[in-house]
Amino acid sequence: MSRYDGKNVVITGGSSGLGLAAAQYLVHNGARVLITGRHRDTLEIAGEQLGENAITVESDTSSPAAIDALARRIEAEFGTVHALVLNAGIGSFDAFEAVTEQTFDEVFAINTKGPFFTLQRLVPLLTEGSGVVLTTSIANQTGWDALSVYSASKAALRSMARTLSRELLPKGIRVNAISPGSIDTGKLDKEAPDKAARLKAEFTESSPMKRWGHASEFAPAVAFLAFDATYVAGIELVVDGGESQL
Amino acid sequence: MSGYQDKRVVITGGTSGIGLATARALVAGGARVLVTGRTPSSLEKARTTLGPGAIVEASDAVADIDTLVGRAEQELGAIDLLVLNAGGTAASTVDDTTEALYDNLFELNTKAPFFTLQKFLPLIPAGGSVVLTTSVSNTKGIATTGVYSATKAALRSMTRTFARELVERGIRVNAVSPGPIDTGILERTMPVEAAREFLEQIKATNPMRRFGEPEEVAKAILFLGFDATYTTGTELVVDGGASDL
Repeated sequence: MSRYDGKNVVITGGSSGLGLAAAQYLVHNGARVLITGRHRDTLEIAGEQLGENAITVESDTSSPAAIDALARRIEAEFGTVHALVLNAGIGSFDAFEAVTEQTFDEVFAINTKGPFFTLQRLVPLLTEGSGVVLTTSIANQTGWDALSVYSASKAALRSMARTLSRELLPKGIRVNAISPGSIDTGKLDKEAPDKAARLKAEFTESSPMKRWGHASEFAPAVAFLAFDATYVAGIELVVDGGESQL
Repeated sequence: MSGYQDKRVVITGGTSGIGLATARALVAGGARVLVTGRTPSSLEKARTTLGPGAIVEASDAVADIDTLVGRAEQELGAIDLLVLNAGGTAASTVDDTTEALYDNLFELNTKAPFFTLQKFLPLIPAGGSVVLTTSVSNTKGIATTGVYSATKAALRSMTRTFARELVERGIRVNAVSPGPIDTGILERTMPVEAAREFLEQIKATNPMRRFGEPEEVAKAILFLGFDATYTTGTELVVDGGASDL
């Protein structure tokens, strides 16, 4: 018997990077996984990789209507949910003075408001003893160049790990956050192609482990918080090669 | 359950509570474990609980470090995971705290793990890791824990510096910070009635309204020890949400 046999897991932003790595790990260990993503082609590739124990749903977490539709789909597919990984997020690499209101609103809509209302809609489906994992970022604790909006959106999410945990504990639902540092997901190349090479070299140099993390190193932390950390609530677990600690 | 086949693990303070629960999970997963303890009764209990898969060694955390390292080298060769869990507690207000109590607790909770790690280092290869047991009290002001909390705060600090110094050797160092865990330590160190009252009060104020089980901390130790390959210098709290909510 595999470790997560019979477990239903929902992962937003599960079609690439950290979310996909978590989905692979959980499916490999017996879970049924429903992943969401915004791009159909990426989702299809992810679905093929994950096999028959994965369901892919095209869904934009910044749209309240899409969140409602997602909740109905999850109820139809799974009935109940044992682990919810709110991982969908977007980067933003503009210098403070160049940030437009549109960028600000988009980043907060995807990184902060989306997870808030996704969790709100899915609470009725979460079982007693279930675990919710929010993907934050070590940027929420540090002042880095050109990350003001992104870091603030993740700081707000980190705060929610505490308050939503407090409010949901009476239902037996634990909420925790995972805070990745420099993990190579391909996102940087996609979202900041002009700066990616320089940022990567800088992070490698400044990282205590002198390397980027691999997405597969994030996945066991998701599984630990979702299923094994039964006396842990409201925390943020850093997976950052020591960067925020040393 | 992920397997720990042929992993070589040393756990100080491994004959009761959190240390014993960790040893049990490891032995069940196929690891070779050496645990230390001080009191004859808990050493005996650990031998019975763990069976032939574990080496149970009487060792004073402070005095017998060299002997312990020698024994570990002889039995296990190298060490994949070192869990520095031995520690003591003493409830004492600042008014009542004697210098002897202060020195004893710092020696047991801070100095002993420091030098135990120092002397074990030659046995820990690249890819190995260390987990230190701290306590949520190291970031809180809890009456009568002045010395205890300070010893654990020092240990939490060492987690960072050790992690920095050892990162280039490929050794990760992290801490697990238990909150109220039902290990029986309070009943052993406080008057029974006072302990009971204190326990009820903790339960009422904990966000999960319960104590944690040693097994729940053991899972966190094993996660940090083997799975958290891109995590070093952190402290993972296992406290029912007490320090965050």
